[in-house]
Amino acid sequence: MTVSTTSIVRPARVERPSLVRRILRSPLALVCILWLVGLVLASLTAPLWLHDGPLEQDLSVVMQGPSAAHLLGTDELGRDMLSRLVTAAAPTMLIALITPVVAMLVTIPVTLWAARTARAESVMNRVSEIVLSLPGTVIILAFIAAVGTDMPLVMAMFGLLLFGAMYKILFGQAASLHRQLFVEAAAIDGVRPMTASIRHVLPNMSETVIVQFVLLFGVGIGMQAGLAFIGLGPQPPEPTWGGMIQSASKFIFQQPWMMVPTGGILALTIIAANVLADILSGGVAVPPPLISLRRRRPSADAADRTSAAEAASAPASSADASSASTVAASVADRELVVRDLVIGVDGGPALVTGVSLRVAPGKVLGLVGESGCGKSVTSYATLGLLAPGLSVRSGSIRWGALDLATADEKALQRVRGHQIAFISQEPTRSLDPMFTIEWQLVAAIRRLRGVRRAEAKAIAARLLTDVGILDVPRVLGSYPHQISGGMAQRVAISLALAGTPSLLIADEPTTALDVTVQAEILDLLRGLIAERGMSVVLVTHDLGVVADLCDDVAVMYAGQIVETGTVRDVLMRPEHPYTMALLAADPHATIGGADPVRLASIPGQVPAPAAWPSGCRFIDRCRFAAAECASAVPLEPRAQGLGAVRCTRRDAVAGREEEWLAPAMVGGDA
Amino acid sequence: MVVFILKRAGFALLTLVVATAIAFVLVHWSGSSPGVVALGAGATPAEVHAYNVKLGWYDPWIVQYAHWVAQVVQGHLGTSLIDGRDIAADIAKRLPVTAALAVFGTIVSCAAGILMGIVAAVRGGLVDRVVTATAGILLSLPAFWVGVLLVYVFAVQLRLLPATGFVPFSTNPQAWVRSLVLPVLTIAITSAAGIARQTRASMAETLTKEHIRSLRALGTPTSRIIYIHALRGASLPILASIAIQFIVLFGGSVIIEVLFALPGIGQAMQAAVGSADLPFVQALVLVATLVVVVVNLALELLTRALDPKLRAA
Repeated sequence: MTVSTTSIVRPARVERPSLVRRILRSPLALVCILWLVGLVLASLTAPLWLHDGPLEQDLSVVMQGPSAAHLLGTDELGRDMLSRLVTAAAPTMLIALITPVVAMLVTIPVTLWAARTARAESVMNRVSEIVLSLPGTVIILAFIAAVGTDMPLVMAMFGLLLFGAMYKILFGQAASLHRQLFVEAAAIDGVRPMTASIRHVLPNMSETVIVQFVLLFGVGIGMQAGLAFIGLGPQPPEPTWGGMIQSASKFIFQQPWMMVPTGGILALTIIAANVLADILSGGVAVPPPLISLRRRRPSADAADRTSAAEAASAPASSADASSASTVAASVADRELVVRDLVIGVDGGPALVTGVSLRVAPGKVLGLVGESGCGKSVTSYATLGLLAPGLSVRSGSIRWGALDLATADEKALQRVRGHQIAFISQEPTRSLDPMFTIEWQLVAAIRRLRGVRRAEAKAIAARLLTDVGILDVPRVLGSYPHQISGGMAQRVAISLALAGTPSLLIADEPTTALDVTVQAEILDLLRGLIAERGMSVVLVTHDLGVVADLCDDVAVMYAGQIVETGTVRDVLMRPEHPYTMALLAADPHATIGGADPVRLASIPGQVPAPAAWPSGCRFIDRCRFAAAECASAVPLEPRAQGLGAVRCTRRDAVAGREEEWLAPAMVGGDA
Repeated sequence: MVVFILKRAGFALLTLVVATAIAFVLVHWSGSSPGVVALGAGATPAEVHAYNVKLGWYDPWIVQYAHWVAQVVQGHLGTSLIDGRDIAADIAKRLPVTAALAVFGTIVSCAAGILMGIVAAVRGGLVDRVVTATAGILLSLPAFWVGVLLVYVFAVQLRLLPATGFVPFSTNPQAWVRSLVLPVLTIAITSAAGIARQTRASMAETLTKEHIRSLRALGTPTSRIIYIHALRGASLPILASIAIQFIVLFGGSVIIEVLFALPGIGQAMQAAVGSADLPFVQALVLVATLVVVVVNLALELLTRALDPKLRAA
């Protein structure tokens, strides 16, 4: 057989541990299987090892508790409960299997057929919807009224009625599998449709099918017991679990014990099936929330942490040109001073180490670097918005008299929105999709400015005009999905302005937008900064944006500040090889005014936090790297201008930025 | 909107026809004979035959079905084979009992389930694991067993509530409430677990959305984020699961009503099935399907009203 396109584009299966693996790895799953299989085996072999038959009456020991002679006690006719329960197990469980078997035998072929042909799909969608709307229990009862209590037949009918629900679950998956490249490729290869379905689609659905099968098995057992309980199952004296619970309930005043083994065995069996299905489906873990919603306890070590941070920051403080004097120097009002900030994954690596920044009132600081350098994490930390599992390990984030790194939730809430606002990089997704723009703006304005609804409405309209929206009434009445990305970013900015903040943190505010819209939003930001005298931290990887808007720049690489300074100094006379590389790779920022003949590409990628080199973290990608770069590099004052640079070979590399334009030596694709 | 409602109503009608036709076919292919049921085992074959002929039992089923539909449209559901009572009147008398059970059961399970789901999603960690495991176990427990255990605790041991029986609201409102507490609690336990699971999953998903971070950055209080924004974002799947639970409650009322001796629809169903009272079974299938269809229709309209993307479309 020749190599077919199918085999080429077919994805490698098993990204998650296989079903068998998942079962073997979970002791609980083994216990469940042991219970289910053991019960059936014990039941089938019951005549060999039970000394009391399930129908043997002994009226001298009626309704007894557990004893050596009758381990689970006796019922109202003196019959051994253990014997009756075990005897009933195999018929119950084997008949319960009929339900999932029938449901799957009907649903799977229909689903595969519907997933392949559009006509079948539209018909089967209707049919399944009708079946789904049938009152299952009542139809089953009607069925029993007609054909009697023939359990296998009843359970088969039940399986048939479950077609609606099963189709709904399986069809979505089958349809998306059919649209996958490897299945379409199989069709191009001339594989017959049904064969393609069975060979390529069915195996990928097997997990869902197995999980649903186990769940339905549990449902089948419950259904049988329920029917027996209301007297519509196998007739006495044949033992059934539901029937035994029913008679136990009649004698609850005389002997409540009878409820325990009868209901217990039924409950344990259904629990075993459901737990097994849960484990097979890979558990029911949910993703953690984006932000921590739990009240942050005033941490006992907050004080230690601050003092430790201040002690630790002493040697490095020379890096921050503004704070050469005392570390605990008071921070002016409306001034943000981040000092030696360390953020890490709880019980994991650090993501940001020793970041120091300063944003004076009315100034715009650009925070630059590739993705994965810790820019966003740093900006989240300034508002206490770190995701659960991340925390500030040391360092301080001074905002006036407050340290935002250690402030409690209450203090942070007074700052958020009122003094510091935030714009995210996903404008549309940053708005609540369920409420209109007006609702969201009015709610924020009322809360942040303490005004009445009518006034808030007026302010909302004014804010939207301020951010350059022309058709204000229409936008006010819109839901976020009804407006464009650029419009959404304007709305997000107006929301950020709702509390008249003095500092705006903008996390890549233009990244998700079209180029023309980017320019508009940047114009808007520039205007707002000039008008309102706000200071801004602008997180971006676009040096053109930095040149356009910022006063100062901090370049981050792998969780560290590698270079700071004024925009003019950093962009015109970069001293760190990484800054040089970024400039050479930027289509807008031309180095030294020369025509960019070609753009550089920086070979390799930002190392993961756990894999940072111990010396200079840029060592593996730097074309100027040498032996001395392997030892830790401190942040030292720039050669020219205010600011700092973290490079051992700064003197050797000075002025060599154009060398980045040469084709990359390693790893690059030039 | 009008087109949508008409379309869905048409579909609902189709579902009703399918459900009752299925019941009709089942009844007629079963080989049971209404004459035997109505006249008892003592009747002679000739008497049975005469009875069946009068009923039109030997006509093709489709003719009988058409006849039945014509009767239903005029509000006649026929009479019971057993005691000749008017089925429509009997169901009308029983419906309030089952409806009270389902409505109160849904209210209680919503309150408990949504709260449990929110707590699990927001607190996470150990709380989440405990709530999830508890919900998983409660979902697996057979309702009738839970019911008997509740009877044992509250009626036998504590003597706080009556074990079984029903008092109409008009007779004694207080006794009416007392007679419904245990049945409602019984059905609420299972369905609260189902709603809790759905709430937890949807809430947790909404809490990973970007706008939650933006809200927090604006200083929105935690309670507002959870109960207004996240709950609203998670509301549609939760609503769907509530509708499902309501339907399940209505169907499950058979067992609950038998267990607690409540004179509702479910009890009538059990009796009718047990005695092969075919016209009664037929009528109850119609009523049960009507409930499902109406709940589903209400859910769809509500979803349309609540989902901004559907409302705009």
